[in-house]
Amino acid sequence: MLLAVIALLVAACGSDDGGGGDTTAAGTETTEGATETTEGATETTEGASETTEGAMEAPEAIYLGAVVPQTGAFAGGGAQVVRGYTYAVEAINAAGGVYVEQYDTNLPLELILRDDESDPNKTTAIMEEVAGEGIVAYLGGFASPLHAAGTAVGEKNQIPYLGVATALQALHEQGYEYFFSPFPKSPDIAVSVYEMLNGLIAEGERPTRVGIFQEATDWGEELGALWADEAANFGYEVVLHETYAPGTEDFTDIILRAQAADVQALLSLPTPPDGFNIYKQMGELGWKPPFNLVVRAADVPTWNDLGDVGDGVLLSAGWHPDLGFEGIGPVNDRHIEEEGRPADPIVGGSYALVQILADAIERAGTLDTTAIRDQLAATDMDTVVGHITFRENGTAPIENPLMQRQDGRVVLVWPEGGAAGELVYPAN
Amino acid sequence: MFRRSLVWWLLVVAAAVVFGLMTQSERVLTLAIQTFIFGALASSWNILGGFAGQVSLGHAAFFGIGALVTRELWLDGRPLAVAVAIALVATAVAASVVGVPMLRLRGIYFAVGTLALGVGVWLTAGNLWPGISSLPVDALRGYEFTGPYFMALGVVTVTVALSIWLRRSKMGLGMMAVREDEEAAAATGVNALAYKMMAFVISAVLAALAGAAFAYFSVSYYPQFPFSVVWTFEAITVVFVGGVGTIIGPLVGAAFFVTGRDVLSSTFPELQVIAFGVLFILVVLVLPGGFVEGGERLHERISRRRTSQHQQATPDATPDATARESVKMEGKEKV
Repeated sequence: MLLAVIALLVAACGSDDGGGGDTTAAGTETTEGATETTEGATETTEGASETTEGAMEAPEAIYLGAVVPQTGAFAGGGAQVVRGYTYAVEAINAAGGVYVEQYDTNLPLELILRDDESDPNKTTAIMEEVAGEGIVAYLGGFASPLHAAGTAVGEKNQIPYLGVATALQALHEQGYEYFFSPFPKSPDIAVSVYEMLNGLIAEGERPTRVGIFQEATDWGEELGALWADEAANFGYEVVLHETYAPGTEDFTDIILRAQAADVQALLSLPTPPDGFNIYKQMGELGWKPPFNLVVRAADVPTWNDLGDVGDGVLLSAGWHPDLGFEGIGPVNDRHIEEEGRPADPIVGGSYALVQILADAIERAGTLDTTAIRDQLAATDMDTVVGHITFRENGTAPIENPLMQRQDGRVVLVWPEGGAAGELVYPAN
Repeated sequence: MFRRSLVWWLLVVAAAVVFGLMTQSERVLTLAIQTFIFGALASSWNILGGFAGQVSLGHAAFFGIGALVTRELWLDGRPLAVAVAIALVATAVAASVVGVPMLRLRGIYFAVGTLALGVGVWLTAGNLWPGISSLPVDALRGYEFTGPYFMALGVVTVTVALSIWLRRSKMGLGMMAVREDEEAAAATGVNALAYKMMAFVISAVLAALAGAAFAYFSVSYYPQFPFSVVWTFEAITVVFVGGVGTIIGPLVGAAFFVTGRDVLSSTFPELQVIAFGVLFILVVLVLPGGFVEGGERLHERISRRRTSQHQQATPDATPDATARESVKMEGKEKV
């Protein structure tokens, strides 16, 4: 038995030196179950079958694997993502679906929607599960930890992964070819807040003393460092830079330190429960700086439950219905009709992902995931988040709008002009 | 009897090897790998909790150390075997250092102490390693399930083999003596602390081995994840559902847990956690010895019925013969 065990371990270890050893699969392989026609020109994903003439029998639908947090810490953001995907799929299907040249027919889109419970480790497991259901692309969830876990699975399975509500630039520096994200990234967010402050507030009145509450996560480290690095370039001084562990419940210590350091502009990127706790405790301690940017936690409508202490904070959620891009009207109207308020920020980005994907599938003319990936890379189209093209690393040159919560409403305040409202400053 | 068991185990391992070579379905291989990892982790906990009677709630700390050290060294370019070996040594050292004060605690105090240890290590891991650990892009594109499958199979085989050996060894008997009555064992010359320490370290090292298999198998995860106390509670659930203190129980429990979770997560995703909670309570109430005890009871009932039928068919069967049959059955070694 011992010999058998040793043999097993040796077989398992093989030549796997460092990071999985040599690769054997070519980067252009198709997904499991793909079959090539006799002409060799077209390939398809699992679910389609070959006829004797070489023409392909069309699948019933184009399946999209959407693994989104519908419970747990990111459920509020996930609900916006689901709304965006659902609206877009229904709109495209109502317009006749997506034409796929390979089958010479229009096919409807169908979401395979799964809940990862806001747990990145469940994200990967569920993504593996839906890969076996003949999907042509993954649509991601909400927040960088979930995307960070999911993109690797997309790359492994060579299935395109599209995601918004993730600003982690590091994800795009790993050489992934199947990850596309038309969403502002940390370098955009780091710069835009200082640009906005300089653009909207007169010199002498600006909040020049910056405090950063940085959570101990990969994105926290990335954006926290960029905020600190960029401050001096725009005439700001970082007087406080505190790190805390996600899930912390008592923020009294760092709030009092921020107060003692006379922080005038507080920049943070907490997860929803931590963000609520920070501002709730600030309210209890009777202190709030004149300028507050709360990335991510303040994106959800329940932020309004905080009352006065939550009012006036700025959001960096990538989109606002007042941006005026083509196609926003029907999305916003439906949202108002169903939810009783203008479209939430993440709805627009999620909607745009499905627009981009449908366009890429149509141009690919096939459901082969590699062909779709290639067409995603070549995207050049107008969406509800503006005109989209992709850089080689999967990011898109996209403006970072900033919004402010004013009396329970989310008001676009940057870039100025157009439909943008006035920045309320000071907000304490 | 032991030789016959050994032959059966070898046949099972051989079948698993053939299965791994023949199966093409990534989904099936994934489930098999998860079963092996859970089986190994549960078996490792079973050595401390089932054999030595020490209920640890901090077992995930060692699973996490095994995963962390293996992953970091392997992704840093060390051969996998070297990374695993270093992870096991590191875990043995950590368990030896932690075990001395922990094992001076008894019963509920030991459980709470190990829980505090597990939570502390989990939080610290999250603070020290906040970033995701994904395989490099080349490894992702060349990823195949066969390597992780055979590694996980090897790990669970080692764990089971060691458990079988332990049950029959002087060391294992010492552990079980401590489990039954620590003070009585000590009074008869058994060094209770030494046996508990051996169980603690062996159990930790085998948990680390399961963690190494997890690190090799996983495409992408946060390093804090394997340290989560959820791993401990799931391992305990698996052991109790399968059969605490038995060899085969953790394996049966793991197979049931992984496949059940997979089915429930796709059919009733909201109910899967509560479903296992209810099942756990039911098993503890109805079958305190888990599925293994259930199987034994069933086997016993069938044997009795056969014996009774045999008696009716052969009038010369004497009560003595029946009694001998019954004694033979009771004397059967637990698997």
